[in-house]
Amino acid sequence: MTALDPTPAPAAPAGGPDPALPLVELRAVHAAYGTIEVLHGVDLSLMPGEVLAVLGPNGAGKTTMLNVLAGLHPLSGGDVFVAGRRTNGASAADLARVGLCLVPEGRGIFPNLTVRENLRMAGHTGHDPRLVEDAAYERFPRLAQRRRQLAGTLSGGEQQMLALARGLATDPAVLVLDELSMGLAPLVVEELYGRVAELAREGVSVLVVEQFARVVLGVADRAAIMLGGRVTEVGTPDEIESKLSAAYLGG
Amino acid sequence: MSDNNNERVEKFKAEVAAMHLRDPATGLDRLLVRLGVAGLVAGPCFSIAAWFIAHGTRNPLQQRDAIVVGLIGVTLAVVGGALFVKGSMAGFLRFWMARLCYEQGAQTDRLAATLAGRARLEATGAAAAATADGRATDEEERASDDQGATRTG
Repeated sequence: MTALDPTPAPAAPAGGPDPALPLVELRAVHAAYGTIEVLHGVDLSLMPGEVLAVLGPNGAGKTTMLNVLAGLHPLSGGDVFVAGRRTNGASAADLARVGLCLVPEGRGIFPNLTVRENLRMAGHTGHDPRLVEDAAYERFPRLAQRRRQLAGTLSGGEQQMLALARGLATDPAVLVLDELSMGLAPLVVEELYGRVAELAREGVSVLVVEQFARVVLGVADRAAIMLGGRVTEVGTPDEIESKLSAAYLGG
Repeated sequence: MSDNNNERVEKFKAEVAAMHLRDPATGLDRLLVRLGVAGLVAGPCFSIAAWFIAHGTRNPLQQRDAIVVGLIGVTLAVVGGALFVKGSMAGFLRFWMARLCYEQGAQTDRLAATLAGRARLEATGAAAAATADGRATDEEERASDDQGATRTG
């Protein structure tokens, strides 16, 4: 195979996309920080319209995997396919522009800008900033009340809503969420995952990485366990839930 | 999936198919920086060589050639310098921007914490003042009641 495969994905059959073809696929992905390899051949696929939860303890390589997928970290081996096309060399900006959106761990908002300015920053993708704002306020009415407030002074849940709203500004087909629940109260986490479930119903494929399984397994169609830089289990949320304690505790 | 959802996936596939991908193996940025360094080194060498050529002859045609070589050297140095600065600044600014974002974030967090602390203090102060006022009013009322009772008695 050449370094880049310019061949587009085979055309979907009439009447919609082939549900058997993954929208995002990682094949034997390796990635490293300097000489330390953290992904040792990750295989994972996300089907159109599905919510896939990737669970695993700290240091399993979950965030690195997402960064590789979003074009933020280079691969040292393997392939990433997006919509059937090999995208190993794609920049994060290009992937975001076409509709693969990463909401990073720690929210990634601009704390010194207001909510409104943060949303307007999403306009660089070519979307009308006013439409972006309206859509965000419609989805998250609480942000409308805080539109003139500095993003850094919002509560954790509101900051996460802002990060989600900004990510959704690009009208993504694939939403990649990294530790959505980090530092948030359980009620807020439930509310946020409620929104994620709504997005999935709208046809957005969601890949979500979490350490805390309970809520995310409630909205996921499939789940996977990641340990030591590899995906060790993939299955239904019920199957994965039963294997979680063994995975976390090494039983 | 509904038609709308199919449409979203189809649109995504079309956009990914049309996306211009750069081969990461070519390392274009690194190549440009190296070319810049080469230009920066080769440019002055060309100019020095041109000076020697021009000085070594009285033939005007050869001297004109030397001027051309000299100008090529200057051009190489300028273009090389621009490429080098572009490559280095891109790397530096990326780091600088990330650091700026982080520092501003940390500063806003500190400011928010200070404001929250101040608001808490003010609230506590107001509550204490209100309690003190309440106590004073109670005492005044009690005193006036006592006086009234004494007069009646």
